[in-house]
Amino acid sequence: MTTDNQPEKKPANQPPIYRLILACGNTLRGDDGIGWQIAAALEQDVSNADAHIVVTRQLLPEHAELISRAEVVVFIDCSAHAEAGQVQSIPIVPAEQLPRILTHHLDPASLLRLALDLYEKVPSHAIAITVGGDFFELSEELSAPVKAAIPDAVLAVQQALR
Amino acid sequence: MSQTITIDPVTRLEGHGKITLKTNDQGEVSEAYFTVTQVRGFEKFSEGRPYYEMPSLMARICGICPVSHLIASAKACEAIMSVEIPPTAAKLRRALNLAQTIQSHALSFFYLSSPDLLLGMDADPVDRNIFGVAQKNPELGRAGVALRRFGQHIIELLGRKRIHPGWVVPGGVTEPLTAVKRDEILALIPEAYANIKLALKWYKEIADRFTEEAEHFANFPGAFLGMVSEDHSLEFTDGKLRLIDATGNILEDKLDAAHFDNVIGEAVEPFSYMKFPYYKPLGYPDGAYRVGPLARLNIASHAGTPLADIELTEFKKLANGPVLGSFYFHHARLIDILYGIEKIEQIFSDHTILDTHVRATAGVNRLEGAGIAEAPRGTLMHHYKVDDKGQIIWPNLVIATGQNNNAMNRGVLQTAQRYVKGEKLEDGMLNRVEAVIRTFDPCLSCSTHAYGQMPLAISLVAPDGTVLDSIRRG
Repeated sequence: MTTDNQPEKKPANQPPIYRLILACGNTLRGDDGIGWQIAAALEQDVSNADAHIVVTRQLLPEHAELISRAEVVVFIDCSAHAEAGQVQSIPIVPAEQLPRILTHHLDPASLLRLALDLYEKVPSHAIAITVGGDFFELSEELSAPVKAAIPDAVLAVQQALR
Repeated sequence: MSQTITIDPVTRLEGHGKITLKTNDQGEVSEAYFTVTQVRGFEKFSEGRPYYEMPSLMARICGICPVSHLIASAKACEAIMSVEIPPTAAKLRRALNLAQTIQSHALSFFYLSSPDLLLGMDADPVDRNIFGVAQKNPELGRAGVALRRFGQHIIELLGRKRIHPGWVVPGGVTEPLTAVKRDEILALIPEAYANIKLALKWYKEIADRFTEEAEHFANFPGAFLGMVSEDHSLEFTDGKLRLIDATGNILEDKLDAAHFDNVIGEAVEPFSYMKFPYYKPLGYPDGAYRVGPLARLNIASHAGTPLADIELTEFKKLANGPVLGSFYFHHARLIDILYGIEKIEQIFSDHTILDTHVRATAGVNRLEGAGIAEAPRGTLMHHYKVDDKGQIIWPNLVIATGQNNNAMNRGVLQTAQRYVKGEKLEDGMLNRVEAVIRTFDPCLSCSTHAYGQMPLAISLVAPDGTVLDSIRRG
């Protein structure tokens, strides 16, 4: 797993990535940190050993290149719109309309669009696994229902990767 | 009939700003103000903190240039400690600072400004962004993304985080470099060279399309301040400051951090929370000056690295003396990037870079200290006073963007007078007014844009309140 805190292993010829997991969120904002914890749980499972797991505070244009090399990509994030603890699997396709403005946060569909425009390739399958949250105050702790949803979220990711 | 035109917020900037244009009875722009609407409070809430916390605290001012604050702050602390850091630590910090400059300039040039340059100032705002660049010129888009990733990855390797890295502390850095990380960085260099060469080639091919903007974008005589090395070449981390006037005459030389505020004052204006630094002997506003990539290239006699030397020699032929047009900040940014890549290659090819002596230790040995560094946007100064226990009693920061404040305001007025005409607002007019601000790449804070559509409504209102025209984006 590579994070914003660790060096990224980058083979010189940038080989393809079969399974890419991109987990994002702010670990200082309560439930928004769920993506990092799900990614950590996935890394513990040896069946995910060939998955390239990246955790980041936000999706960036710089992730487009990684995505273009993947066959399958699973985005993991918290959702402020779903019920706390609710796990959802949402298929993602490249956005047709480009965002009007570059923000600090790119959504998965826009990132796929960018990968298509820059590198002419996107994964054959792209899915977002989200966990509903309702506590986003300054905290490194998850709320109880969100924490309880981790096993289900992990399962959803593993199903998406098959 | 006199009118007031407001652009709020200004787009594709780091932070939040507002532009106000006032017209006279003939409908001509007579006044213009670039207003910074944020109050951060770092100087105030730092009071009472231990001095050694300051680098980490000050890095949180910004998410784009935290390294500059880390380094300037650490240097101020080292002045308080009365220490000289180990040579390897100085080289490592220099590399970190240059990596930050590269990624910041890549963001500014490719993400924020190239949409105007590639797609045209009059292009539909829907397309005039990095995604529009990706569609129209994917090769250029890839180069920009890759250069930003290059700089960020070096920061991550050295400082463990891309944003708000640690590692730089008073006395040096917390840990030496490993051979694995050094080799990983060196392996990234060839691609970085290829990308900046592509960008420079592309820029030179399109630059002639913007002679009109180059002539009228904040193009006026004025002084320039920046850091140089002992041999007058470019320097971002451990040089002394030089101030030159519009003809290239040296006004101040070998200025160090300890004497910065002997010659630089700070004025305030009622329309902005950002201060207006100026050169004291000339007073305010005559003593206003510019900092940043354009200033650095005007001040240095040469770059000090082979490829950047060639580019700088060519750049200096744009004018007989200092290049005064702020449009050329774009070109200067690309030369900064090239220099940064060359210097990073030199630093990490040096066999001493793996030396394990990277930190000096000491307590409080002076009650005052100042440190300067070249941030991507220009000279940055941190100045602290402490008590005997080392608690901050007075901090003062002179930020790069603030030093360009007067020039940005003059630039807005000059550009608006050229392009904003009549009672009918056109998007291209207002985009040029915004674009002149973007040449300075101001960093007003790390919070750039709200997620989603950025509402931008501009109304042309007559003194009696009648709305003559309006434009809405988003």
